[in-house]
Amino acid sequence: MPVGFVSTRLGALALVGLLAAAPANAGHHAWQDDLTPIDAEEWSYDRAAHLIERAGFGATPGEIEALAAMTPDEVVRWLVNYESVPNGDLPAFDHSGIFEPGLDPFPPSRPATTALARANGEALGVRVKPDGNRRLQPVVNKFFYWLRASMLETRRVGYWWGNRMLATERPLEEKMTLFWHGHFATIESKVRDYRKMLLQNATLRRHATGNFGALLLAVAQDPAMLAFLDAGVNVAGAPNENFAREIMEIFSMGVGNYSETDIREAARAFTGWYFDDLTFVVNADQHDTGAKTLLGQSDDFDGADVVRIILEQPVTAEYISARLYRFFVREELSPELNAKLAAILRHADYELKPLLRAIFLSRDFYSAASVGTHIKSPVELVVSTYRKLGLRALPGIPDFNEATAVLGQALFWPPTVAGWAGGRSWVTPGLLLERGNFGRRVLFPDIDFVPHDIYAPDGLIREVHRRTIAGADITSATMPPVAEAGGMMAESNMMADRDEDFNTRYASYRGWQMAIERVKPIPRTAAVLDLAGMVREAGLSTTTEVVDHMLARLLRVPLGTAERDMLIAFLDGELGTSDIARADSYLEDGLRMLVHLIMSQPEYQLG
Amino acid sequence: MKNRKRGSELSRRTLLGAGLAGAGLGMMGGPLGRAALAAPGDPDRRILVVLELSGGNDGLNTVVPYADDAYYRLRPNIAIPEDKVRKIDDHFGFNPGLSGFERLYKDGKMAIVHGCGYENPSFSHFTSMAYWHTAAPNSGNEHGWVGRLADAMKPGGASNFIVNIDATQSLAVRSRDHVPVVFDDPDKFARQGFNSETELFQHVAEAGDDHNASRRYLLDIARGALDASAQVREAWDKYETPIDYGIVPVDMNKIAALIAADMPTRLYYTAFRNNAFDTHVHQGNLHRRLLTYAADAVHAFIADMERIGRADDVVVLMFSEFGRRVPENTSLGTDHGAAGTMFLAGKPVKGGHYGEVPSLTALDEGDNLDYTTDFRRVYASAIEDWMGIYATVVLGDDFPRFDMFA
Repeated sequence: MPVGFVSTRLGALALVGLLAAAPANAGHHAWQDDLTPIDAEEWSYDRAAHLIERAGFGATPGEIEALAAMTPDEVVRWLVNYESVPNGDLPAFDHSGIFEPGLDPFPPSRPATTALARANGEALGVRVKPDGNRRLQPVVNKFFYWLRASMLETRRVGYWWGNRMLATERPLEEKMTLFWHGHFATIESKVRDYRKMLLQNATLRRHATGNFGALLLAVAQDPAMLAFLDAGVNVAGAPNENFAREIMEIFSMGVGNYSETDIREAARAFTGWYFDDLTFVVNADQHDTGAKTLLGQSDDFDGADVVRIILEQPVTAEYISARLYRFFVREELSPELNAKLAAILRHADYELKPLLRAIFLSRDFYSAASVGTHIKSPVELVVSTYRKLGLRALPGIPDFNEATAVLGQALFWPPTVAGWAGGRSWVTPGLLLERGNFGRRVLFPDIDFVPHDIYAPDGLIREVHRRTIAGADITSATMPPVAEAGGMMAESNMMADRDEDFNTRYASYRGWQMAIERVKPIPRTAAVLDLAGMVREAGLSTTTEVVDHMLARLLRVPLGTAERDMLIAFLDGELGTSDIARADSYLEDGLRMLVHLIMSQPEYQLG
Repeated sequence: MKNRKRGSELSRRTLLGAGLAGAGLGMMGGPLGRAALAAPGDPDRRILVVLELSGGNDGLNTVVPYADDAYYRLRPNIAIPEDKVRKIDDHFGFNPGLSGFERLYKDGKMAIVHGCGYENPSFSHFTSMAYWHTAAPNSGNEHGWVGRLADAMKPGGASNFIVNIDATQSLAVRSRDHVPVVFDDPDKFARQGFNSETELFQHVAEAGDDHNASRRYLLDIARGALDASAQVREAWDKYETPIDYGIVPVDMNKIAALIAADMPTRLYYTAFRNNAFDTHVHQGNLHRRLLTYAADAVHAFIADMERIGRADDVVVLMFSEFGRRVPENTSLGTDHGAAGTMFLAGKPVKGGHYGEVPSLTALDEGDNLDYTTDFRRVYASAIEDWMGIYATVVLGDDFPRFDMFA
């Protein structure tokens, strides 16, 4: 058992808790479902670490010590009332300047674009060639340019946001913005406009811990959401139900609490709600002014009335408080506790802060059922890894978006309108291995790292490039490789190059080129780590102390004794000694492997 | 039998009416525990592959009832014109993108099941998909139907019995006894690290009596990963095929690789990602392309099974969480609907039409097709007549089966 400097630094409780057995660390079973605020005497290093991991993205031992020295009430006030916390150093998003006026409104598809160009002689600000082969090619090139450029720029927005999560002094602000992004999941590949995604992100952040009613209305009037859920085709006489369904099913009430008729009527109420570029507009001539009957009420409702009526439903407070609870505390929520949480939200007229305060101070939050049982989302895993290793700027290697996307959570590209399923669905056998591999990439960067914001990941596009610059004509340059090889050609491969007005595959290639010329590159600095420095600063003298320090720094759930012993033996083997002073001049590599092994443990996924 | 491999010597009505007779025959089960298997081949090598056309596939524009005037009346702008349809008889034809299905059908290797759905349909992707995943409409089950089938086939669990190729695990494969092998990219299904780390990588802690269910779950996953990852990668590395799976192989080539490597897997599950078939707006081109991907991949897969000598052992089941509303919307697309079309493909499948065709003139009040075939009838047929397990054990109820296996 290590004693002395380390345990003093971290607080004796922390190490005892981590090393001895689960109970000391895990909190009381009796506290489960109890919303009584914990007492100041019950506050500890471990509980502060638990809170900052859930309400934020984790912290270094030094930061946790500072929180542990405050009262729980003070810490929660700092977390929740973050408006008074200075955060001025965070830079605004730096636009590359890829947008041009002709690109909005952007047609829904390539066929719609070429149909428009045929009809008007022009589309996306590009005129059709008067004569010659592939007269529509420049229009289609422009179409693919914007698809690629918006996608690449949205990745830069992802980087900018990830960096905010890492650098912010207001962790709950970013954590709640992330929660709302999953709740009001909107996908760039359908919105196809990074500017709208960025605007939505700002809207979610502005309302992050404000009033849920105000947020719901803001989202219903948000251009990205309006584009995403087909508001443009929801018009009087021909309502489109997509938004009306999702606002009830996913955004506010949950399935089973409304009828199909309610959805149809709500869709009518939302008719005419649309956007002009980045501004919400109501097209009065497309609004259905007739009477609607919605959830038992009848009148000439518009979208704001739908939001109001939804907020009047008791089930809305239940649904939202349950979503928040599952995000911050744990998957299982008893109906009794849910009712209590909903009452807090309802009595506060949907102000979110009282509910968040109640959750973060509750005994339930610190009970054995809650502590160390949350499977971290990929974004939580990646950001908290960096925070715990003391980084305050997002590295360029590994790529933040690729790392999180591979693990199942690409910001601005949630899988569906229902957001990320979360919980156990974050981890599969494949993804568990991949999570450990992420640790490897941070600790031992890939020397063959290729930034996909410049290097097209699609081999077909690279092949078109190769043939084009070798002087091939467009048809030959874009022929699928399998056809060239004389293999059996699938129907989809034969379709690609039939149209004589333009060549889609060539446009895809040319659009990529045009995009990388305009989108600013992401700086590609590898993570700069100094684990040996951490060990020296903590004054650790044996491999056992080092292993315990790293376990305490990185894990919220203790490893088994056998696994801890294996790690100590491993480090002894790598360093050739258990004496840290003797190994001081070559510590770093062994420490990195040790940290990689800890990050590869199932326990590292838990927060 | 309603099996008609070529042409249309019988009228559609006669054929479809025969459906129940087929089901009756199928009801004659075998001895307790295992149902009698009608088809030849080694029953212990039989494999079921499920391909999910997620997002709500528009069944009417997939198997087009070109002889029905109501279809063209209700879809004046997005109906597939008769001269574009790939006709398979005097009433139906495939979407022009489905040359792969057309070939399978004409070879007698594809069953089309009409009007698949359930009582009180949900129009929510997530809810309806959960109903299909659990085979428990308007209800639920902790485990998926494929997971429960695995539990019945191999109680207590076995390594690599279920493979689910996707970024996340499907509810359909969630099992009591099995940890499904879930991965997306076989090349990435590996731990990266140093030689000296290997011993620790090969070690997974015992959970003991830990109260932390999340930790216990992760330890199970870690054990599953250890078992499967090396085998999957080796299979994928070795796999080579001259057959073109098309632009988007929907993982059918990965499944072929594992089968070619003789993995012990009996149940494979994969899906189109991200609700691909959710075609609310300007659906024509997009829908056709999606269908082409599916048809190319499935046709190639079955040819590949023939190539490696496993064609007699493998059946592919395809479904979507719902069909789409019968009348087109004003955005040249279709909204969430009710009954849809299921497909079974493979050499052991008796090709033809199954199930009663829902009427296009007697729609429900939401303008939806009334379902005529409880989708669990198709599950039951695959479970009992193909995999040899009493369907009741898995589905908790009796569903009349179709006689769809040769």
